Amino acid sequence: MLSEKKAKRVAPIAATVVGVVLVCLLWVLVSAKPNPSDNADSPLLGQPAPAVVTTTLEDKPFDLARRKGSWVVLNFFNSTCVPCRIEHPLLLTFVQNQLSTDNPAEMYTVINDDNDSAVLAFFAENKGDWQKIRDNDGTIAVAFGVAKVPETWIIDPNGYVRLRIAGQLSEGLLDEQMSILKVQFGS
Amino acid sequence: MAAIASALLIFGGLRDSGPRSQQDRIDAITMRLACPTCQGESVYVSRASAAEAIRAEVARQVGSGLRTDDETIAYIEQRFGSQVLLLPRSSGIDSLVWALPIAALICGAAALGVAFRKWRTTDDGAVSAEDSALVDAALATKNVTDSNS
Amino acid sequence: MFAGGGVSSSIGRAFLLVGIIGSLFGALASISSARSRDRTVARLIPRFAILIFAAAVGAFATMEYAMITRDFSMAYVQKVGSTATPALYNFAAVWSALEGSLLMWVLILAGYTLAVCFWLRKKMDDVLANWAMGVMFIVSMFFFLLSFGPANPFAVGAPGVFDGPGPNPLLQNHILVMFHPPLLYLGYVGVTVPFAFAIGALVTGRVGEGWLLATRRWTLFAWGFLTFGIILGSWWSYEVLGWSGVWAWDPVENASLLPWITATAYIHSVLVQERRGMLRVWNLSLLVSTFSLTILGTFLTRSGVLNSVHAFSESAIGPWLLAFFAIIVIVSIGLIGWRGDRLHAPGSIDSVVSREGAFLVNNVLFALFAFVVLLGTVFPLVIEAVQSRTIVVGEPFFDRLVAPIGIALLTLMAIAPVLPWRKASSELLSTRLFWPAWCGVGALGISVVVGATGFMPLLTFALGGFASGSALRQVVLATRKQGLRGLVGRTNGGMIVHVGVIVIAVALAASNSFTHSQELFLKTGTPAYFSGHSFELIEIVEETTDRAISVKALISIDGGQAYAPAITKYTKIGMNIGTPSVKTGIRGDIYLTLEPPVKQDSGEAHIKVFIKPLLVWLWIGGFLMALGTLLAAFPGRRRKPTDATSALIGSNDVE
Repeated sequence: MLSEKKAKRVAPIAATVVGVVLVCLLWVLVSAKPNPSDNADSPLLGQPAPAVVTTTLEDKPFDLARRKGSWVVLNFFNSTCVPCRIEHPLLLTFVQNQLSTDNPAEMYTVINDDNDSAVLAFFAENKGDWQKIRDNDGTIAVAFGVAKVPETWIIDPNGYVRLRIAGQLSEGLLDEQMSILKVQFGS
Repeated sequence: MAAIASALLIFGGLRDSGPRSQQDRIDAITMRLACPTCQGESVYVSRASAAEAIRAEVARQVGSGLRTDDETIAYIEQRFGSQVLLLPRSSGIDSLVWALPIAALICGAAALGVAFRKWRTTDDGAVSAEDSALVDAALATKNVTDSNS
Repeated sequence: MFAGGGVSSSIGRAFLLVGIIGSLFGALASISSARSRDRTVARLIPRFAILIFAAAVGAFATMEYAMITRDFSMAYVQKVGSTATPALYNFAAVWSALEGSLLMWVLILAGYTLAVCFWLRKKMDDVLANWAMGVMFIVSMFFFLLSFGPANPFAVGAPGVFDGPGPNPLLQNHILVMFHPPLLYLGYVGVTVPFAFAIGALVTGRVGEGWLLATRRWTLFAWGFLTFGIILGSWWSYEVLGWSGVWAWDPVENASLLPWITATAYIHSVLVQERRGMLRVWNLSLLVSTFSLTILGTFLTRSGVLNSVHAFSESAIGPWLLAFFAIIVIVSIGLIGWRGDRLHAPGSIDSVVSREGAFLVNNVLFALFAFVVLLGTVFPLVIEAVQSRTIVVGEPFFDRLVAPIGIALLTLMAIAPVLPWRKASSELLSTRLFWPAWCGVGALGISVVVGATGFMPLLTFALGGFASGSALRQVVLATRKQGLRGLVGRTNGGMIVHVGVIVIAVALAASNSFTHSQELFLKTGTPAYFSGHSFELIEIVEETTDRAISVKALISIDGGQAYAPAITKYTKIGMNIGTPSVKTGIRGDIYLTLEPPVKQDSGEAHIKVFIKPLLVWLWIGGFLMALGTLLAAFPGRRRKPTDATSALIGSNDVE
């Protein structure tokens, strides 16, 4: 007799407990967002930049260490990546604006998982006469920890990494950040 | 029989499977790294370009022989951040993912234990007075019916 | 050639609208018939079932027609159709993306509704049957609505488009894409049927054994196809994806596994309810969970909340699916709570060492298994929602936690078949387990001799031998008693399924623990050697079709037939896909992939070789499971009323 009475209460109690747990799970799922946004942190910030020794699309050698003395902007790029194509005009504007500053930054495109002809075709159509450097086995991307393109990195004249922007650039962002860094780290 | 089984198990379990080839080392390391552009796939599994690049880097490091497995993983983690670790750390809120299954196991085992104990203590076969009376009444009726037919 | 502008679209949507209205009225008719017991209304139910099935067939046929005739006026055809895709893959392209696969779900669900209606045709005045049909109609209505509204496959596309990219290249290079999704859906969607009967039982309060037994074959049918679908998916993954594995604990794979786990638990625990009248709440909860997990799984993989190989881009259906999941769970829990008084079982389990005890332990283990898989899949989401950072819960988590559960289940499989109901003495156990135990030791011995190392794999092999000994003992005893009839029926079919599971477990242990790979750089004419096999590059050929350029390396293994791993560039999409080539053997597979870059005239190829021990046994085990399920579906030995038994069947409720 007693066990029946207890049983009458067990089922609703158990049901409520399960219900509460599931409501919590549902709340979590409702607030879950698809596609998290990237953060621009990196353990390389403030560290010497990784070695980058490769060739350009014109088959000339490129060594990041020999670019010391100038600000270097590395833009990781792939011709099929839509945000890369969208941000391209902003890079053109940036390079143009840099020409009127003292110690203009040097722009380099790091080709990420793409073939030379596609990249050449893109730049022929969309302009941009800075050097494009190869990264055929992905060593440069791995060295910087770049998994998704586009990413833009700024390296100071002493060869230290100062900024990482993951994802598509917004208007004026690169110019603004560059002027801040120039003030902060001299020249 | 138990002795034979245990002996075989211990012998086989402790036996050395031979030196690991370089590719085995690479495979073991890539199985512990997560591909940063996929959702949850390991670098070993994924065919994405970022995974290929990381595999190439791991192959280079294993080939150079300078680093141990853990050091190589630390190197990759340093570059890509913790998103490249395939297992949550055993600290902080992440440890819940290990703790909760253990808790569930203990709950389940406990529930089973409680249930079996509860069932066992109810009546182990002795007839209760109530039931005896019922049976007697029924038999009495049966006897009456039998003697009437 | 084109059906013209929006004509096909309109026809398709019209069919879907008919489906919505048909299922709405079908649900109303069923529920009203249930409450008023009106026979005239009950007679309407089959008509609505036929109507919605016709509507679903019409909608699906319209979609296929548009795809086959390459009607690029439709947005969906623009997305996955192409003039270059071969006919077979084009047909399958309909279910290669979200909207089309939902349409297939609608078709299969309507089919099940009609089939259940036909099965119930003589019992249409039964209240429980009416409620079950009502639930089927309501679920159908939901999916028709999804297809009509947010996931509309018949949307009109942008004008002026005359070709498309075709389906994802991974979905157009292997024939299994024709079979895996439909078969998986037959299982996935099929669990709606037992769920409908569970709700019917709860609503009517007739929660005894009668209906659960009657729907046994439906549950088995759905479970069988779910099992088969999952195994086919692993096979496809193995043949196509190029990492030589079969299971990656990917969120989509987990989504299909979760309902399978709860359904398997149900198949076992329902036997306890049948014999002893116990575990009613648990069984009903399992049925509810199985169905809810299919909806949850669909939500997780289709809303873009997680990403994987299959998951299509984010879609508007996420909130709908989540809302439906919430409604199902709340209603079901409410019903179980409400009917709690009726669900108390009179019996009790005497001893752990009995078949009932074994089934209980089995269920606890499966519940734990489901919990671990669900936790691992959902945990990154939870962390992201709470702390806004991304973490990964990958294969090592699942492997580490599921392996001990698997070992425990294998042990249970070894002991449980010989356990009698109620209670077992230790002498009984040691007599019955004698030969199976020696099988286990034998298996262990063979593995050690063959060279296997490692505690976990060896333990798996030993327990596998033990468990197959127990299972085969049961089958042998049954065939000795009844000849060929001893092979059919629930128990014997079940034993063959167990053997299939054991074979799969052993094959998984072997291929996961003892796979070795090597990268080889081959030059034409010079063989390379690995793991006792020779690999020689014969030549590199290039094949061009109008959808792809394929570079194949013909490699002769051990001087024999040439195997051709390839890299295929799908020109319309611009994707490069590697296609592996596999030499299958009884003792293991040799799996070849071609690594980029490869040039046709260079005479060199960079390949990767994987040696996969015992891999083909996964598919053999899967076949055994399918065979066992078929055998279990046949009626077995009829139980004579005078047979000694633990409890009378079907005595607990008024039919």
